[in-house]
Amino acid sequence: MTSGSTTLERQVTLIELVDRVLNKGVVLSGDITLSVAEVDLVYVGLRLLLASVGTLERLQSELT
Amino acid sequence: MSDRALYVYGVVPNASPPTLFEAVRGVDPSEPVILVSDERLAAVASAVRLDEFGETSIEENLRDPSWLAEKARAHDGVLAAAVGRTTVLPFRFGAIYRSEDQVRDLLRERTDFPATLARLEGTIELGVKAYLDVDVQRERLAAGEDAEGVGSAGRAYMQRKQLDRRLDEEVERFAARCAHDSHERLAAAVQESRTNPLPQPEAGDMARTMILNGAYLVPAGAVERFRDALGELERGHQPDGVDYELSGPWPPYNFVADESGRRP
Repeated sequence: MTSGSTTLERQVTLIELVDRVLNKGVVLSGDITLSVAEVDLVYVGLRLLLASVGTLERLQSELT
Repeated sequence: MSDRALYVYGVVPNASPPTLFEAVRGVDPSEPVILVSDERLAAVASAVRLDEFGETSIEENLRDPSWLAEKARAHDGVLAAAVGRTTVLPFRFGAIYRSEDQVRDLLRERTDFPATLARLEGTIELGVKAYLDVDVQRERLAAGEDAEGVGSAGRAYMQRKQLDRRLDEEVERFAARCAHDSHERLAAAVQESRTNPLPQPEAGDMARTMILNGAYLVPAGAVERFRDALGELERGHQPDGVDYELSGPWPPYNFVADESGRRP
């Protein structure tokens, strides 16, 4: 962590990002094409994949 | 138009400047981010193709972790563009509506959104994870234990076993106390806070254990105070083998209750 600076530079990791985007936020129902249950199911699988360090590093490098 | 749908990222007040999202692209990177407004609110959205996000295609795409990671990053990128510039009410990944009219229906139906936006106004979410280096803590605790009188080899072995067990318990007690104390001090500096479950420690990763996974809703004027509190914790607990990771600023993902009133 940098200290002394008054501006807050954005620091995020992919794992934290995925945790929030797929697991938090307002859950909607109604006339949408993707149901929350599907996302939840997929999330479990993705979480397992991301838990393996190799996958995470590969994804990080692909995306940056 | 039927081969397209609208992906919705979240909601902002209707008065938000439309230029907020000029610099970012949608989950379909060829599409700009638009605002679908009613008289109070605006949904942040972008067009998606049904052959990528339609019911059958998305099921397949969701099984591809790199697709999902890329889209999750885009989702967060759109919302992050508004953080600190207007109030954002973030949706979970995957709210895809068939038309602008349906998005307006949503804005009208969710009478709870304006109050939530008011609660979140002028805040950002910051994340703090604390990790304990178990070996450092064990050594510290062991240093406090006197080497007990050396007896026979068998007795020494038993004593070592007992000491190990006692150290394990003490490390666990320290971790719980330190996590609780750290969270309390950070929470005291902010508007709202919550702790999230800790991941199961993985084999081979025993030395560095996550002891706190906290999220903090920080008013803009309290960011410095929060960072000071964190800096104090870092200095105070560094000799204990504890280090802290700050993340964010995030859209307030952790501070929006879903429609059933359940916290996500």
